[in-house]
This record gives sequence, structure tokens and C-alpha cells, in this order.
Amino acid sequence: MISHEMKKVAEERAARYKAAVELKEPDRVPFMGLGGDVVAAYAGITSYEFCFDYEKSYQATLKYLREFPSDQPLMPMTSLANTVAALAFVDYPDITPLVSNIDGPTNDILGVKYFRFPGRELGENSSPQFIGKDFMQPEEYDELIADPVKFCYEKIVPRTITGLQDLQSANALAAMARLGIEKTRQGAAMQKFLLELQKLGYPLSGTSMFLTPLDFIGDFLRDIPNLIKDLRRYPDKVKAAAEALLEPLLKLALAGKKTGVEMSFIPLHFNEYLSPVLYNEFYWPTLKAGILGMLEEGMRSRVFFEGRHDPHLETILELPAGWGIAFFEKTDVRKAKKLLQGHTCIMGGLDPGMVIGSTPAKLDEHIKELLGDMMPGGGFILSLGVNNLPRETPIENIAAVYEAVEKYGKY
Amino acid sequence: MREQLLKSFVDMDEQEAVRIARELVDTDGGAVAVLDTCKEAMEEVGRLFEAGEYFLSELIAAGDMFNQIMEFTLPKLQGDEVTSIGTMVLGTVQGDVHNIGKDIFKVMAEASGINVIDIGIDVPHEKFVEAIKEHKPELVGMCCLITLGVDSMKRTIEVIREAGLRDDIKIIIGGGRVSQAVMEHVGADAWADDAARGVRLSKELLGKE
Amino acid sequence: MPSPEMLKLAEERAARYRAAIELKEPDRVPFTGMGGDVVAAYAGISSYEYCFDPEKSLQAIIKYLKDFPSDRPIGGMSGIGNAITQLAFLDYPDLTGLFAMVDGPTNDILGVDYIRFPGREVDEYSSPQFIGAEYMKADEYDELIADPVKFLFEKIVPRTTRNLRDLGSPAALATMARFGMHKARSGAFMQKQAAELLKLGYKSEPASFFLAPLDFISDNLRDTVNLVKDLRRYPDKVKAAAEALLEPMLKLALLGKNIGADMAFIPLHLNEYLSPKLYNEFYWPTLKEGILRMLQEGMKSQVFFEGWHDAHMESVLELPAGWGVGYFEKTDVRKAKKILKGHTCIMGGIDVGMVIASTPAKLDEYIKELLGEMMPGGGFILSPNIGNLPRETPIENIAAVYEAVEKYGKY
Repeated sequence: MISHEMKKVAEERAARYKAAVELKEPDRVPFMGLGGDVVAAYAGITSYEFCFDYEKSYQATLKYLREFPSDQPLMPMTSLANTVAALAFVDYPDITPLVSNIDGPTNDILGVKYFRFPGRELGENSSPQFIGKDFMQPEEYDELIADPVKFCYEKIVPRTITGLQDLQSANALAAMARLGIEKTRQGAAMQKFLLELQKLGYPLSGTSMFLTPLDFIGDFLRDIPNLIKDLRRYPDKVKAAAEALLEPLLKLALAGKKTGVEMSFIPLHFNEYLSPVLYNEFYWPTLKAGILGMLEEGMRSRVFFEGRHDPHLETILELPAGWGIAFFEKTDVRKAKKLLQGHTCIMGGLDPGMVIGSTPAKLDEHIKELLGDMMPGGGFILSLGVNNLPRETPIENIAAVYEAVEKYGKY
Repeated sequence: MREQLLKSFVDMDEQEAVRIARELVDTDGGAVAVLDTCKEAMEEVGRLFEAGEYFLSELIAAGDMFNQIMEFTLPKLQGDEVTSIGTMVLGTVQGDVHNIGKDIFKVMAEASGINVIDIGIDVPHEKFVEAIKEHKPELVGMCCLITLGVDSMKRTIEVIREAGLRDDIKIIIGGGRVSQAVMEHVGADAWADDAARGVRLSKELLGKE
Repeated sequence: MPSPEMLKLAEERAARYRAAIELKEPDRVPFTGMGGDVVAAYAGISSYEYCFDPEKSLQAIIKYLKDFPSDRPIGGMSGIGNAITQLAFLDYPDLTGLFAMVDGPTNDILGVDYIRFPGREVDEYSSPQFIGAEYMKADEYDELIADPVKFLFEKIVPRTTRNLRDLGSPAALATMARFGMHKARSGAFMQKQAAELLKLGYKSEPASFFLAPLDFISDNLRDTVNLVKDLRRYPDKVKAAAEALLEPMLKLALLGKNIGADMAFIPLHLNEYLSPKLYNEFYWPTLKEGILRMLQEGMKSQVFFEGWHDAHMESVLELPAGWGVGYFEKTDVRKAKKILKGHTCIMGGIDVGMVIASTPAKLDEYIKELLGEMMPGGGFILSPNIGNLPRETPIENIAAVYEAVEKYGKY
């Protein structure tokens, strides 16, 4: 059972995070914890085992979380998002979680062509990876625009999921049955893991995912280089496609509301490829509409601004204050703070390169300065710019970060 | 021609029996002749079944032949040419949705001259009561296949008794799982676990043999 | 954990059963017990709960088995076979077994047209029922003959399974995923059930399932009334279809070997409809071949001869001695013994109608006489002639049978 103390710890951690999202100063700076492949390495298992073996993956994660406690739990069984399949089944909300979160065993059943897993397509100590391709041809834009869900289901799912390449076949039906079996087994194991997390004082909260329509087209349908050409060759079609995709993608994200999800995760990708002109014409309108649409339904967003978002920072101010979390990768969080203080909660600040290549002493100094600059006034969550530390990350560096947070993080 | 019809029917020669019946029905008084011959043939098939020479598949095939021939024969008969030896309300009791036994029995009963009111499958107790009030039959037939039907028959008969209708009718139960013991248990007047026996006993209950 | 005494008891019960099958005299006549709808009634639950609520169903079975112990665990009537879908997924051996029994929740997911469940299509105190219909037209025999598995998957599954009506649709794929999810949960429950029954001294022994090809055509495809006509109208096609179905049906039954089954259950249906001439021409050849081929693979059969099998008794002698169990419904077991003694283990003997309608004293007398005639020489298993006692069966009558077995059943 979960002790009274640990319930209290979980409440404190959740409150700390919530305060920052609400642009307030908590008791200590909320800290996301440093995860990634290093979690498997720390437990002495391969990345393949971490991705395919429920029990080993759960134990490795718990071991790491016991040793390195943070305000949000790290999760085992790394999964990749298959938003095409999720969208294809958007009218079947009990099925979307099965087809959208693809981990190792699930990928063995479905064979998703976007994904590479350690011990399968990759070496056993590699990270799971997403590789896009042009699964849709430019002449198919009209079909996509006319009915995105039908198009994704009938055309893209068979092209991207080996197990569903012939939707009418017994193979496809069998794959779905196996998927249901595997996900249920996994769910039973996951329940045990979540109980252990609670025993360690971690708050549990689900997340929804929303993809910017243009990222959806770029990553899942056309592939980035093709989409860049499309922006110039078929600008109207791209714009119409992004608009057509907005509603179903919103519906997908909002499905999480039924299970009490209050925050949706929006990983941006195409943002740093675009000039402000293209960004504002093609990318930002549907992203903004998505964020606002979810906010209307009581769901905040945590946007991961991949790469350098510097040219587009001003646009964030078009959103209402307190809309959510801006999670920056390469954009300097100090610069972001100058612009967004009192408007947007900022997340990030830790360069994974430093954690890998620096020394405990330098890291201590780095965190001290960073927190000194970022903490005042609240609204800041400390996190890695990309939350994936490689297997070889020196453990003493990791320990130094956690210690520095305790030393310098108190308000 | 009547002899040929009788023979081909009883021998299960479907094509030949239907051909002859079609020919015969258009002759003077032919419709009545076809009806009587087919009734006689059905009776013979029932006899062969009870003697162990014919099996359920022959009863089904005979019933199908009878229906086929009646389809073109009945429209050619005058109202008073189709005589009935009595009326029976027939249904599969509540909780049981099987119909094959009931349907085999039904066509054989009709062939023997019983006017059968088929009230379907999974029939609620009250519906039997309503049908008895409406059609005033001499006989009520209750069918079941699954063992659950035994209790359902018992309750149906109780409900009929409570409605004050039990003494006006005779009740025969039928189906794969009924027996003398079951008949006594549910309070029926006769039982049959095959259609041929069922028709023979129904006629006895009507005082027609 | 089961106690050593209960493990020993389980072994004794299994040995008793095995001895009878091997035509020997055990220590006491093996008694299958008498289950069915009465098990639910005895526990005070509806048949709907018995079919849809696994926990209540298990508790009902445990309660009944504690008060009425027998040599086999009574399974109750909580599901209906679905041979069509099993054959359609024959090439997916990890899934075929999952289609073997359609329980209430599975039917909610699949929507099988020929199944009626209490609390759904029939009253909540009724029994689950199988109602065949004409799912295949007479002019489709050639297609069935050419490739039975393909035909069943492409044509018959959509016609018989409402939620797989349109095979390529997202609804159909979602149905399969839900099916998988449910089966993973119920599989976990089955393991729990087996463990609970072992605590009561019952080994859960896996069984295989085989259908006489002609029964499959009659019950699942053409409906009995039509099949009977087909025998006269298209005799060669019916014969060819039965032959074409033999191999897949055998493959299905032999899959049971993977889970350790050494006995196949074969419920006959069309047997009593057929004259010896039709039986020997159309029915018996593929049934016999099935029994013999399974025997070659080490699997005995338990054949349920529904209705009157009297006209075909001699044909049983064409099988080698010790081939398995002849389970009789209306055929007098005494008569069967005269013909089959030393050749076939005989099962049955208790007329369910009597158990419902008779008195304890008469039943005591009845069992005494029955056992007096049937036990000598061994090779007899006492069982109700049909495996379903209705809800209102008097408990004192049931008790009388169990007591009589103890009183008169010892060798």
C-alpha cells in the first residue's frame, strides 16, 4: 500500500509543478529528472531489453527513480507515437491508445515502417527512432483534404503498417486481435508499475498529444524535404490540408479529457525549418487554433519547441497568459524569459551535451547560475533540452545535477 | 395418377411427385385429389418413421414436398374442400428460441388436417393464454429443445390453469428432451419426442383415431 | 496453493476417469457431475450474470462443486462454440483457440448472429442458445469446396458476425482489437479459475474439439432443413464439401495438442436425422476418418451421440477398440453396452427429465439399477444424458443422485 508520507510527497511534487505552470513560485524549482537510455544502462540491461521486456524495463526505471528522485516520473517501455494510426481510428476512442503508442512488443505485431527499435532494426543498445518517408504523393492532397480520417485509414495505414497492409485480410484482423491481447497484458503489468511509482511518491497524470497539422503532414505523410517543396509548389493545397487536419487532431487530443488529462503535449518539428513568413502563413495558424481550442476545453498545452525557435518567439505572446508550458530545446531559456515572463511557463535549461561531457564541479556551477537567472518570479521548470541521456552518460554528472537542484533550487 | 403421386411422394422422389401433382391439379376435381393424396402420403411417411424405416431427414424432405405442392394446390380449392379435424395453438415456450422441431411437426399436423395456429418461438406464457382465448383451439402444442423448456412448459400450463382455460383444452408437449416423467411433471396430457408420434397422439386427443 | 490432499484427490479423480476410458474398472464409477443452468440458480444469480460476470460465475461453480463433488469440474453452460471463426483463423494458431467459446462479453464484442444470450437476445434466466440459419446458398458449394478456410473467412464470417460485417473497415479492426483485449483479460481469469478448482481437487484438463464435417455444413452453413434437401438435390457437392472440410477440421482439433489436450469432444447432431443409408454415405465416412486420424496422433475422442443413435450403433464397431468414449443421449446405455462392451467406453445413463421430474427415492432406485447393470466389467462413465440441468431442478433430486453414486458406485 502507499504510505501516508509518500502520498504527501506526491502531492507536494504535483503542487510544485502546478505552481510553475500557473506562473507562481513554488517551494523549490520543479525538476523533471534526467531520463533516456542511461536508465537502462544504469540497471545493467540493454536498450533492447528496456524496450521489449516489461519486467526488466519497469525494474530499471524504478531503480533509477529510487536513486534519482525528481518531481515527475520517468516512464519505462519507450514508445513512439503513430499519429497516423491514431487519426485513422479517431472515431474509436478505445482503440486509439492501442494503435498510437507503439513500443517494442507492439511494433513486433504491427510492423510500423516509421519506427526502428533496438534489437530489431537497430543494434541492441541503440535508441528507438522515427524515420519519415513520402508515404503520400502530392497528387493525393485533394483526397487528404476531402476526408483526412478516411484517407489515413484507407491509404496511409496500409502503406505504413506491415501488419495492416491488406485491411480486409485475416492477417490484418489477426494483427488487431494480437494487439489487443498484448496491450492488455502490458496494461496489467503497467498497473503494477504505477503502484510502485506511487509508493515512491510520484504523482500520476496522463497526457494527451496534439500534433501541429503541418508537422503531421511533414513527418507522417510527405517527409520534410518534400513538404518544403510543396509549400512553394502547392501552397493552397498544403494550407487546406493543414486546416482539414485540425479538427480530427483536436478530437484526438481532447479524447484524453474523459480520463482526466489536463495537459496535452505538442512536440514541434517543422518550426525551425521555416522563415517567419512561412511559419506565420502555414504553420502557426493551425497550431495556434489547436492550442486555443484545447484551452477552451480546459486543457493546457506543453509545447516542445524543437531546435531554435528564436525567430518565432514573439508569436507565443498571441496566446493568452497562462496558456501552458513552453519547453525549449536550443533556444536560450534566459532570452525566452525576458520575452515571456508572466505570460508563459518556461521549461528546459539543461544542455544534454553538458551533462554528458562536463564535470560535476562545472555542472554544479552551471545549475547555480541557471537557477539564479531563471527562478526569480517563478514560472520555470528545470529540464533537459531533450530528455534523452545516452547510455554512457557519467553517473557522477547526473548525480551532480540532482544535488545542485537540491542545493540551489529552493525559493 | 393418384397412385403414382402417392408412390413418388412416399419414395422421396421430389421432382416426380411435384411434376405429377402439377399435372393432376389441373384436372377436374384434381385439387382435392392432390390434397388427399398428399395427406395420405404424409401419413404413410409418418408411419414409416415410427416403424424406424424413415428418419428425421425424410420427415423434413416430405414436409418440404408437401409445402411445395400445397403452394399451387390450395389456391385451387374451394373453402369447403379444405376440412379441418380441429384447431391447435402451437409454439416454442418462453426462453427457448429453437424452431426446427416445431416446424417439422407443424407441416405434418397440417397434412393430417389439423388447423395449426403457429405463435412462434420464445412465446411468453400470457401469449399462449391470449391465443387460446382468441382461437378457441381444442389442442395446445408446446415445444422445447433445451432442458430449460421443461420449467417453462410447467409455468405456461400453470398460467393457463390460472386463467381458467385448462379444462377447455388438451395439451401435448413435444421436443428432444421431453418424456413421460416430464409430461407428468408439467401437467400435460400427452408427450412426443418426434413429430410423427406427436401427430398421431394429437389426432387421438381430438378423438379422431 | 492447493493442499497435498487436494492434489492427490485430483489425481484420483483423473485416474478414475482414465481407467474407464481404458475400459477398466476403477475404484468407483467415474461421475461427471451434473451442471448447467442450475449452478447459477443454486448460487442465487441469474443466467445472465452466470454468462457475463466471470467472478460471480466462478463463485457459483465453487459453491456448487463444494456441495456436489464429482470427478470432473462442471463447466456450466456459459458459452457457445464458434467453429466458423475458428476455421476462418485456422492459420493463426495463437488466435484460433480464442474463438472456441463465445462467452457473453465476447458476443457483445463480436455480435454472432447465431448465438442468443440471456439478458441480451433472450430472457436473463434463459440459457445461451445456438440457432443456425442459412448463411451459405446452395450455389456456393463450389466455392466452399475449392478453399474452405478462405470461403469461411471472406464470405461466412461477415455474414455471421455483425461487427465483422465489413472486413476492411475500421469497425472490423476495432472489433478484433476489443476481442483481443477481452480475451487477454478472460485468459488471465481462466488461470485463476483453474487454480481455484485445483484447490477443490479438480484438474482442469484441456480438451480439443472436432465437428463431423456434415454437422458443420448443416449447423453452421446451410441450416439442417436445407442440408437435408441438399443431400437429395446435390449429393456430390455435399460429399465433396464434407471431404474438403475434413482436413481443416482435423488441423483445428489437432491444434489442441499444443495445449496438452489428449481428447477431442465431438458433438454429433445430424446423426439422428439420417437413415443408415444416408448416414453411411454422407456422414460417417468423414467422421470416422476424423476419429481415426486423431487417434493416430494420440488423441482419443468423446463423441456425443445426440438423440437416438440406435440405427447407427454397429458402425461404432468399425473403430478400433479403446478409441474413446461414446456418450449417449436417448440411446439406452444398456443396449449400447451389449454392443460395445470391451470396445468403447460408454458415458451417460442419467435421464435429465427424471432428475427434473422424479423424486429422491425413485432416483435412488434408478441409479442403483443403472449402476448394477452398467458397472460390471468397467468402461462406464456416469453422466446426465445432456449436460444442462435447468434452473428449477429440485436440489433434493440432485443430492439424491450424488448420494446414490457414493452408495452404489464402488467396485
